[in-house]
Amino acid sequence: MIELHERTRRISASRLEELLQQYGCTSMVDPFMGVPTHLNYLKRHDIAVHGGDLVDWFVRAGEGIVVNDFTVLRDNEVAEIVEMLPGRIYSVDMFKAWEGVFFSEEQCVYLGVWHDNVRNLRSDGQTGLAIFGLWSVLCYWLQKAQQPDEMQDVPPSELAWNYIRKSEQWVSTNLRRNTVRQADVLSTINAQQADALFIAPPARNSFRTADARIWMWEAWWQGNPYYNIEHAYRDSLFGQRSADEAGYARAIASVLSSAAEYPVIILQTTEQRLREFEPHMRNARARVDVVAPHANEVYLIGTR
Amino acid sequence: MSLMEASGGGSSPESVALGEALTFFGDVSAFAAGAPSGEGERIAALAAGIAQQAGLSVSDCHALYFAARLRLAGALGNRAFAKGEHLPERAARMERWDIPTEGARLCRRIGVLPKDTADIVRWQAECWDGTGYPDQLRWAGIPKPAQLLHVAVAYVTASDPQEAFTEITSQSGRAYSPEAAGAFTRWFHLNAGEIDAMEVPLEALHGSAFAPADAFALLAERIDAHNATPGRANRLAAHATGIARSMNLPVGDIEALNFAALLSGAGELREREIESAQFGALARLGIELRARNAATAADLLGACPQLHRASEIVRARAEWYDGTGAPRHLRHEAIPVAARILGAVIAYDALEEDHRTRITEDRMLPVSRIDKAAGTQFDPAVLRALAETVKARA
Repeated sequence: MIELHERTRRISASRLEELLQQYGCTSMVDPFMGVPTHLNYLKRHDIAVHGGDLVDWFVRAGEGIVVNDFTVLRDNEVAEIVEMLPGRIYSVDMFKAWEGVFFSEEQCVYLGVWHDNVRNLRSDGQTGLAIFGLWSVLCYWLQKAQQPDEMQDVPPSELAWNYIRKSEQWVSTNLRRNTVRQADVLSTINAQQADALFIAPPARNSFRTADARIWMWEAWWQGNPYYNIEHAYRDSLFGQRSADEAGYARAIASVLSSAAEYPVIILQTTEQRLREFEPHMRNARARVDVVAPHANEVYLIGTR
Repeated sequence: MSLMEASGGGSSPESVALGEALTFFGDVSAFAAGAPSGEGERIAALAAGIAQQAGLSVSDCHALYFAARLRLAGALGNRAFAKGEHLPERAARMERWDIPTEGARLCRRIGVLPKDTADIVRWQAECWDGTGYPDQLRWAGIPKPAQLLHVAVAYVTASDPQEAFTEITSQSGRAYSPEAAGAFTRWFHLNAGEIDAMEVPLEALHGSAFAPADAFALLAERIDAHNATPGRANRLAAHATGIARSMNLPVGDIEALNFAALLSGAGELREREIESAQFGALARLGIELRARNAATAADLLGACPQLHRASEIVRARAEWYDGTGAPRHLRHEAIPVAARILGAVIAYDALEEDHRTRITEDRMLPVSRIDKAAGTQFDPAVLRALAETVKARA
């Protein structure tokens, strides 16, 4: 059975907003964006946000809930995503390789249908919303495979409908320019200017143990069930080059030194890993504050 | 040790008073958010019951109890409910998503609460599948007590318990974690869906950094934010206690009047506009509205034993000195003197606000304007003391 990580990183956007307010920041860059729900929150609270990530579907989701100010999906448009449309030829076997391994035959057919339908959507905003919504369906199925008796069987199209509808509720505007880019950390840091840089660095070699819900969805979006997410991190700063301890430390130091233009750097870590990052932050910044509401939620805040 | 056993001790008069003040805070916030009376108590008791089924530690159960009581604290002052705001439904919904965060901030200011209370309040509406708010946390990123509170809220706020049970079990793995839904199911079968009342776990309140008076002051501040009357409660309290002292009222009466003045705005929490925006402070047409708001506030205050006297003062603040007020048409000395003072300072504050903000040819000072109602609406002795207090402050 596939392993789902019990602990995934917790980024509390509301806590982050409190910190940004405290330090007088009205714009922020996150070069390790991940699922960009925290950027959506900050955007709704009038902070201009810019995210970057190497994983394509994170960026697409960001186009739906971060960049997108107004585009929503009407009922008929959602219906066109969740069901097979007459007259369209579908690659229903696209995800056959997952059949019997992770998903049922029906689920694999739906994954193929949704992939084709989403690829045919008219705007980046709609595509992002659909990708973000449908990801929750994948997560539900994987969770249900682990706890079959505790979760109900819901028809795939109904589940997809509900989740896409819910993703649409996050669309809002802050009347500011918000961006997402598919880029490595340093490119994102150098490409943007903002009051604050937020970084939640990945653990060393974490790309090798990526959560199934993340890499599978990238494989789905790429239309390739054999897709290996390590491709996304090839030649990246936190890829192979930082596989050893010294390389990882160098990567962190280079991120912080590249951020010299940012008035505030907020690094989120855990109590356990605080010692790993604190010396780097103290090297890079004149003043460092530590805010630790929880052992697994510690913020190192560096100012000039 | 069960939560009930753990809740047996620690009931010093100070902690009892603090417990009352905090639950009062929660009840007033819930009222502002439109929740029915007693809902917070039921949610807290149910959450604690489910927590026992889920095997939470006693300290987590205590934090969960207080988080449940204060879960809507952030509704006070939220733009979706605030006066003069008529937001479209989508915008109002987004504003409501901020209730947990604001509630968490308030809980942090209440230094005596169990350690994790603020975070449980912050994440009470997060869904297991990441579709909740405010942070869209998902899976194990949501603290267990917050997952349980979410289930308890769903059950208690539903109109039909059986339907709520079906909904919660069907949402296992979506809105609710399978573990929380499972614990709820066990609780439901063991208790036949009946929620047992439980004592406030007073021993979980620690330190002396926050007294009941601090809770009332914080609540008054939030009521003012909600009613869009910043600073009004403190102005009323300062004027009212100043007058009471100059009229040589007993200390106990002054204290009750102070709380009555601080919290009298609670009666306007559900109104679309504050009463002085609907009727002039001296208008006879406003009597019924003022009496209704006074009764609402008095009922809320009356639920807190420390505020019984304040409640009676608030209830009578819409009576007129000549007996033509409401609700009981009391006249002269039959109206408690503290209520006569409160009625006068509320009117004076509205006139002063009017004087400060309105561009008008009528530049008559508020004191002169209110003086015209001496002997009819207000006690002349109170108005004389008011004039002296205002003069002294000037």
